[in-house]
Amino acid sequence: MSTLISIEGLGKLYPKAGEPSLKEVSFNIHQGERFGIFGPNGAGKTTLISILCQIIPATEGQVRYFIKDREVSFSDIKQHIGFVPQDLALYEGLTAFQNVEYFGALFNMSAFQVRERAAHLFGLLGLSQVANKPVKTFSGGMKRRLNLIVGVMHEPGILFLDEPTVGVDIQSRTAILEFLNTLNESGTSIVYTSHHLDEAERFCDRIAVIDRGRVIALDEIGPLLREHAAADLTHLLIKLTGKEFRDHV
Amino acid sequence: MYKSFISIKKELLLLVNDKTGLALMFAMPLLLVLIITIIQDSAFKVVNENKISMLVVNKDEGAEGATLVELLAASGMFDLRLEEDCSFADFQESVASGKTLTGLYLREDFSSRFGEHAAGLSAMIMGEAGFSETLAVGESEAPSVYFMNDPVLQDNYVLSVVNMLNTHLNVMEVSRMLESLYAEMGFEELPASVKEALGSNRIKIERVLPKDQHLIPNSTQHNVPAWTIFAMFFMVISLGSNLVLEKATGSFLRLKSMPSSFWWVMLSKQFVYMGVGLLQVVFVFGVAMLLFPFLNLPPLLLPNNVPGILAVVLVSVFSAVSYALMLGALSRTQEQSNGFGAISIIIFAAIGGVWVPTFVMPEYMKMISMISPLNWSLEAFYALFLRGGEWSELWLPLGILLVFSFICQLITFLHLHRNRLI
Repeated sequence: MSTLISIEGLGKLYPKAGEPSLKEVSFNIHQGERFGIFGPNGAGKTTLISILCQIIPATEGQVRYFIKDREVSFSDIKQHIGFVPQDLALYEGLTAFQNVEYFGALFNMSAFQVRERAAHLFGLLGLSQVANKPVKTFSGGMKRRLNLIVGVMHEPGILFLDEPTVGVDIQSRTAILEFLNTLNESGTSIVYTSHHLDEAERFCDRIAVIDRGRVIALDEIGPLLREHAAADLTHLLIKLTGKEFRDHV
Repeated sequence: MYKSFISIKKELLLLVNDKTGLALMFAMPLLLVLIITIIQDSAFKVVNENKISMLVVNKDEGAEGATLVELLAASGMFDLRLEEDCSFADFQESVASGKTLTGLYLREDFSSRFGEHAAGLSAMIMGEAGFSETLAVGESEAPSVYFMNDPVLQDNYVLSVVNMLNTHLNVMEVSRMLESLYAEMGFEELPASVKEALGSNRIKIERVLPKDQHLIPNSTQHNVPAWTIFAMFFMVISLGSNLVLEKATGSFLRLKSMPSSFWWVMLSKQFVYMGVGLLQVVFVFGVAMLLFPFLNLPPLLLPNNVPGILAVVLVSVFSAVSYALMLGALSRTQEQSNGFGAISIIIFAAIGGVWVPTFVMPEYMKMISMISPLNWSLEAFYALFLRGGEWSELWLPLGILLVFSFICQLITFLHLHRNRLI
C-alpha cells in the first residue's frame, strides 16, 4: 500500500504546559486505509488529529502528505482533507442545507456542485426530508449525521473523524458507519478516533494506541490482540494503558 | 464570488434569527430619539448652573464697552476671554469651531452710538417734559452688539445667555439716562411714555449663525445623531454574541482545516454589520426627517456636506463593528460579551457626551471623555449637523476613530491567533 501520510518524530508542547502532549510520534498512514487512533482521555489523540488537519502546528517533527504517490504541499493539502470534529460545528439557526451550502462554498465548491452533492449526501444519510429545517430542531443523531455531511461535502481524499458517533442512537450510528464504509470503498482514506471500541474493532484496518503522548502500539487489530493475548480491543487497551483514571484538570 | 455571497448570506440569516439583537439595533434608537428629544429641555437644565465661556472682542473706542465687560464679569455667570486684536472673521471662526461657547463682539462706535442713543432718549424725555422740542425715538438708532454661540449649545440655553446680556445692557442704558435726567431736570419719576419708549427701542443683539445657515440648532439636531451613535455601538450585543457562538461551536476550528481564510468569515461579518449600521442611520434619520413634524418636533435637517455625512457614518459604523468584534473575540461566553458590551457602551456614552454635553463636565472628565469612541463620533456628527460640517473639523475625529478601529481589529486578530482560533 502506498503511503498517504508520513509522520516523523512529531512532538507538541502547548504553551505553559509542563509536559508535551505528543512525543516522538512516528508512523505512516496508507492510501485507502481505515486507521484508528485510540487511547485514554488526555493521551494526545485530539492533538494528533488537530496537527494532521493543520488546525494546530507541531512543535517538533514533520508531517508529509502524498496524493497519488506525489507529495502535496502543506498549504495545498487542505483541499483534500475532510474534518469531522467532536464538537458539532454547525449553525443551529440555519437550516441543514444552509449549513452545507456555507461550508461547501468555503471549500471553493460552485453553487451547482453544492446542490448536487448536498442532495446526494442528504439522501444517503436520511436527511432529505429535513434539509430545509433549522438545525436547532434536530435530534443529536441528525446533527451528528449533518456534521459528517459537512466534513465530506468536497469529496476529500482523507477524512479525519474525532468521535463521530458520540452520543447518538444505534440507528444513527449504524447509518454513519455504513456511510463511512461506502466512502472508504470509493477510495477515501479514513483516520478515526472513538471510545466505542467494539465499533472501532469492526471498522478499522489498523490502529495506533497512544498513551501519555507516545505511540505504544501500532499494527493491524488481529496481530495486536494475539501479541498481547487480549480478547478484544477493550481488553487490549486496558492491558496497554492500565486501569488507573486519567482525570486531569 | 459565490463564496462571498454565501458567507454574507449566512451572516444575514444569523442576524435575522437574532430577534433580540435586531430589536436592540432598530427599535431602541427610535424610542430613545423620540423620548429624549421630547424631554430634552429638562435633561439639559444642569448647564445653567455652570459658568459660560465667552470670547469678548471689545473694539469700542469709548468707555461703554468696558463698562459692559465689567458688568458681565461682575455677574459671575461668565468665564470671559478678552481679545482686542481679533477680526470679526476670526471671532466667527473661533466661536463656530467650538473653541468657546459664546462670543460678544463690540464695534468701534459702540460708545458713541450708545451715547447718541441715550442723548436721543434724553432729548425725547426733555421734550415730553416740555423743556425742548420732542424728538422721535425712531430717529435715534440703537447701537448693536454682535453675539454668537457654538452651535453645539442648546437653543434654550443660548436664549438665556442672550437675555442675560439684554439685562446688563438695559441696566447701562437706563442708568446712563437717569443720571443725566435726574441731574438736569430733577424729576423724581420717569413718565410712563418714556418707560414705554425705553422698552420698545432696546439695543439689538444680532445673532450670527454658522456658515451652513439652514441648520438650526435644536433638540432634534442634537439628539438624533447622538442616540443613533449610541444604538450603532449597541450592535456589540448581536455581533459580539455571534462571534462568541462561532468560537463555542468549533466553527473556527473547522475553518482552520479548510482552504478558506478566516478573513472570509470576519470580512463577511463586518460587511453585514456595516450594512446594519448604515440601515440604522437611514432608518432613524428618516423617521426624524419625515415623522417628527407630525409629533410637533423639529424635523432633522441634513447638512450640505453629503460626502462628509457618508464619511462620518461609515467611519462611525466601522468603529462600532471593530469594537464589537474585539469584545466578541475577548469574551469566553455570550453572557460576558452581552454584559460587558452593554455596560461599556453605556459608560462610553455617558463620558462621551451623549447624555450630558462634555462642556459641562469637569476638566478631568473632559480628558476621560477622549477615550470614548462615541465622543469622537459625536464630535464629527455635531460638526456636520450643528456647525455646518467643514472637512477641516472632521479630520481629527475621523482620524481618531480610524485609529481606534485599527487597534480593535489588531487586538481581535492577535487574541484569536494566540488562542489558536485562526
